[in-house]
Amino acid sequence: MSAVKNENMLMIPKIKLGIVIDHIPAGDGVKILEIISRYEELKDVPITLGLNYDSKKLGRKDLIKLQLEFLAPEIIQHISIVVPGVTIKAIKEYKVYSKVVVQAPKEIRNLLKCKNPNCITNLQPGIETVFVAVDENSDQVKCNYCERIFDRSELQPIIK
Amino acid sequence: MKKDLISMDDLTVDEIKDYLRVAHLVEAMSDEERYRLLPGKIMAAMFFEPSTRTRLSFESAMHRLGGSVIGFAEQSATSVSKGESFTDTIHTVENYCDIMVIRHPGEGTARLAAMESRLPVINAGDGSNQHPTQTLLDLFTIEKDLGQISGITVAFVGDLKYSRTVHSLIRALMKFDVTNFILVAPESLRLPKYFMMTDEPDKYHFYETNQLEEAISKCDILYMTRIQRERFPDLLEYEKVKDSYLLTAAMLADAKPHLRVLHPLPRVNEIAYDVDKTKFAGYFPQARNGVIMRQAILTKHLGVAL
Repeated sequence: MSAVKNENMLMIPKIKLGIVIDHIPAGDGVKILEIISRYEELKDVPITLGLNYDSKKLGRKDLIKLQLEFLAPEIIQHISIVVPGVTIKAIKEYKVYSKVVVQAPKEIRNLLKCKNPNCITNLQPGIETVFVAVDENSDQVKCNYCERIFDRSELQPIIK
Repeated sequence: MKKDLISMDDLTVDEIKDYLRVAHLVEAMSDEERYRLLPGKIMAAMFFEPSTRTRLSFESAMHRLGGSVIGFAEQSATSVSKGESFTDTIHTVENYCDIMVIRHPGEGTARLAAMESRLPVINAGDGSNQHPTQTLLDLFTIEKDLGQISGITVAFVGDLKYSRTVHSLIRALMKFDVTNFILVAPESLRLPKYFMMTDEPDKYHFYETNQLEEAISKCDILYMTRIQRERFPDLLEYEKVKDSYLLTAAMLADAKPHLRVLHPLPRVNEIAYDVDKTKFAGYFPQARNGVIMRQAILTKHLGVAL
């Protein structure tokens, strides 16, 4: 992939085949990159991170392009938990052939680790964690077991 | 369908009221009538950490309902000490009984047991998370002593920062339209602010003070708790505050005539022994109410309709 230079700026070109994560609130692109970096299967995938683009919808946005055909559902779920509301587009022959706006699920099963060291999910191995959204407009989730409430973003993902 | 009792947060006000209703019915029965409620039923008291009062209260409740009890009083007496997982213990013990009462230091343990087992599970305390039978017996005691719950003023004294009992009872009282709370605690053990945040800030009043005397004449329930030495990073600080929360009979001179002093027990040095003989002492009857409420809970959860 080569960057096309015009007089004033360096543009990221369209991709022929790949995944674009769009409408990322400015500043949150690195959070998604951090998730992506945890997955072994994405280790060799060429990735472009764009920061602070103009956006009609958000004012400023970040953008990530990945040169791969398919993004595993569990990775999409992780992204939806950490930065809900982003758009994930699949590109073929430079065109968007599918797109989805990902929202955080009300119930998050076995994707996040409870932060409470005395929670039974951390005391006995093999228990599926469950977090439930406190309410629709909040980023807070409650552990189904120890009943502690956390911000979604402070919980570490479980990488299988 | 089996019914568990895991967390006060799972219960609606109507469900809580039904526990109170059943407890009043159980109390009104004769010993013989109570003894015929659960014949042949077996309760497993699975105490993975010691808790003498809660365990004895449950065991007494079950025996007096005509049922019987199996169980253990500490983890070292179980196969868990040989390396068995908690869930394996649950799946094994559920073959030996009709209902499981579980106490465990791990938070969320009772919920896990309830999800795993086909039997009803009663949470008798999971770490610092929930102890719903204590909250239900406290509500029962207040209703019995004062004739009502809504509209009363409740003062909580002592460790309001860490006390699971206090946190759970405040939440339950708010559901019952108790709007006036007096919170007596040293600076370092005050109630966490998020307990005072509600959707209706004009409705609820939380008055914070570190003077016990200030609260006594204003409240209907004086709920004392133990100040634990180990909660203080600085022992000098502990020495400074420990006696300022000692209730004596003389301090109750200006109390409302119907005031009740409650305490989840065991007390250490929060209530002087001379209070025991006053009409205000409600903590030993509270322990008796614990047996009645647990009888109500066992009866309800074993499917006997009253």
